[in-house]
Amino acid sequence: MSTRFEHDDDGVLVIIGSGAGGGTLAHALARKGIKSVVLEAGKRYALEDIENDEWAMFEKISWLDERITAGPRQLSETFPNLPAWIVKGVGGSTIHWAGVALRFQPHEFRLHSEVGDIAGANLLDWPISYEELEPYYVQAERHMGVTGDASGMPLHDWNNNFMVLAEGARRVGYEKLRAGPMAINTRPYDDRPQCMQAGFCMQGCRFGAKWSTMYTDIPRAEATGYCEVRPNAMALTIEHDERGRVNAVVYADAEGNLQRQRARAVCVAGNSIESPRLLLNSHSALFPDGLANSSGQVGRNYMTHATACVFAEMPKPVNMHRGTTFAGIISDEARLDRSRGFVGGYTLEVMSLGLPFFAKFMDPANGGWGRDYAAILEKYDHLSGVWICGEDLPMEENGITLHDSRKDQYGLPVPIVYKGDHPNDEALRRHGQQQARSCYEAVGAVRVFDVPDFPTSHNVGTNRMSARPEDGVVNQWGQAHDIDNLFVSDGSQFTSSGAENPTLTIVALALRQADHIAERMSRGEL
Amino acid sequence: MPLAIGTTLSRRRFLTLTGVLAAGSLALSASTLWPRWARAEPELATRLLRLGRDIYPHEAIADRYYLAPLTPLLGEQRELIAAGLDDLDRRARAAHGRDYAAVDSAAEREALLRQIEDGEFFQAVRNTLVVGLYDTPELWQAHFGYEGSSWEQGGYVGRGYNDLVIDWL
Ligand SMILES: Cc1cc2nc3c(=O)[nH]c(=O)nc-3n(C[C@H](O)[C@H](O)[C@H](O)COP(=O)(O)OP(=O)(O)OC[C@H]3O[C@@H](n4cnc5c(N)ncnc54)[C@H](O)[C@@H]3O)c2cc1C
Ligand code: SF4
Repeated sequence: MSTRFEHDDDGVLVIIGSGAGGGTLAHALARKGIKSVVLEAGKRYALEDIENDEWAMFEKISWLDERITAGPRQLSETFPNLPAWIVKGVGGSTIHWAGVALRFQPHEFRLHSEVGDIAGANLLDWPISYEELEPYYVQAERHMGVTGDASGMPLHDWNNNFMVLAEGARRVGYEKLRAGPMAINTRPYDDRPQCMQAGFCMQGCRFGAKWSTMYTDIPRAEATGYCEVRPNAMALTIEHDERGRVNAVVYADAEGNLQRQRARAVCVAGNSIESPRLLLNSHSALFPDGLANSSGQVGRNYMTHATACVFAEMPKPVNMHRGTTFAGIISDEARLDRSRGFVGGYTLEVMSLGLPFFAKFMDPANGGWGRDYAAILEKYDHLSGVWICGEDLPMEENGITLHDSRKDQYGLPVPIVYKGDHPNDEALRRHGQQQARSCYEAVGAVRVFDVPDFPTSHNVGTNRMSARPEDGVVNQWGQAHDIDNLFVSDGSQFTSSGAENPTLTIVALALRQADHIAERMSRGEL
Repeated sequence: MPLAIGTTLSRRRFLTLTGVLAAGSLALSASTLWPRWARAEPELATRLLRLGRDIYPHEAIADRYYLAPLTPLLGEQRELIAAGLDDLDRRARAAHGRDYAAVDSAAEREALLRQIEDGEFFQAVRNTLVVGLYDTPELWQAHFGYEGSSWEQGGYVGRGYNDLVIDWL
């Protein structure tokens, strides 16, 4: 087993969460000889625990603690207690993620400057530029093994599902068609094998071909002797001294006993619902509205990407379930082009679902049954699907609040996850649906149909970065504006959502934050 | 623990509960392969079966695959199910002068169900079935062309993940 640190050791950093943000940070710090304790609410799993079984994995590793889905959206009815699809386990949502690893585009860091104020949106530029993050993107791509230049691995071969979409896309005039970049090995890389095209990326990769902190960063951090990972440890509150600097984290251990881990600094990486929830729950006499919340922005500006799914039945079998789950990307619409009637862009990402999930998600509303429904399912092997990942504008009223009476199993107020769409999101979604439909029609689809939103897998924005303390929660390093030894290290730092999947950017930010923390420690500031 | 998606029972658990996994000889008649509760209460089972088959109609799929996933409902929400089936029969008698299962036209039965589709009873049956029926591995390949777990066979490298020829245009 790895090193163990004492509860009263105040020389350790405490990192909350072991997913994309927390797992990467712990490893990067450990390699610099910086000590940390990672508190992870979920269990530890082994590769043998990963099954090619959609429901079994969903039940095994999802975050199923009570949450309330709110807001004027269908999800409030179809999944009233499951607003988001997030993993509770060592490795976090990087166990489930599909590996799509795109960089943000330069203009997306300054969308506000590009487009100006938009009524109803709380748009803001990031306090960092693409150019500042670029070296960390390269580092992240090498670190995760992203196919393409940085790692030297070729992109994947196109699978059948992508061949269908891409052929249609070509016919409607799209040109930016690629099978990646993906953090999925096309040949052995970083002591992990190549992808076997097993098709269950979203259930966890049984082979370890897909990057996940579960079997890379976490065990490697532990192996250095500088990191202790405590599974089944749910952080409840962060404490501070009389000067307002954080100094300990109170958590519930596997037996439900309360423990207090002293800390030199605290890094919050519980994903965009739990991270702000923890800050709000940590209110005190000095910080009555919650930690790091002098701006009132903690828990606000929740973004999920403007998404939609379109599926098509083709004349012959496609077997979308074979090969990587998100096998190809079309980027022509990712640009900023206001002539389309909305700001921000979107990517079109080919996707598949297995029959068990598809039967449920095709229409989770009450009307999702009957002769036509069953007839589509009988054509399961003829289906091809695409997912739209679009810029979702930040709105102040979208966010995480605490229920005033309902409590979870830890005695903490249940989070209410409120999300409504900005008219821009709706326009973008409609455009994406129409374009996806055109692609499938161009390749001879028998029928094309929309599939509604499922619980959100991309959750960002609830502790956002800002240049000025009054506009957001953290600065360009992810350090809280209000508290100089408190950091946010996950996707909740995002100032805007971009048209790209978030994880590569989360990892790049975590690597950058590790350098910053090390530098401040060497200057004696932390 | 509250779980928004359908049943909380795992497929494995309800397969063992229902004895589907143990069901043996092909020589047995269809209803001897029914779950134990259904053999004990064939009348209730038949009514529920008609409903299940109307919710997700797949002609070629045998009855027992509809009954097996509904088993937990009988344990957990028996009264809701019994009352719901009675209500459905009342509606059928009012509209067509006979019990639901005796209404010949599938379209007429579907119309009756559309009236109650937002109700607790209907949703309990539908949510249980949509998770359970389609999570039955024996049915995947033959009825849907879904192949399920693949890592044991080394995934689909060399097994048709990239062999599509688009010859229909
Ligand atoms: C099915 C699916 C497919 C996806 N595909 C992609 C993709 O292709 N590309 C992409 O870029 N992104 C993808 N994502 C999203 C990606 O997984 C997330 O963006 C990313 O993992 C978020 O990183 P994070 O560090 O913010 O949180 P997570 O990785 O979710 O980690 C958070 C961890 O914190 C723990 N935690 C939370 N609260 C506490 C607490 N109070 N105490 C202790 N521990 C706590 C949780 O248990 C969890 O393990 C996908 C997600 C899903 C679910
Ligand atoms: S398709 Fe490749 S990456 Fe995805 S689960 Fe299978 S082996 Fe892993």
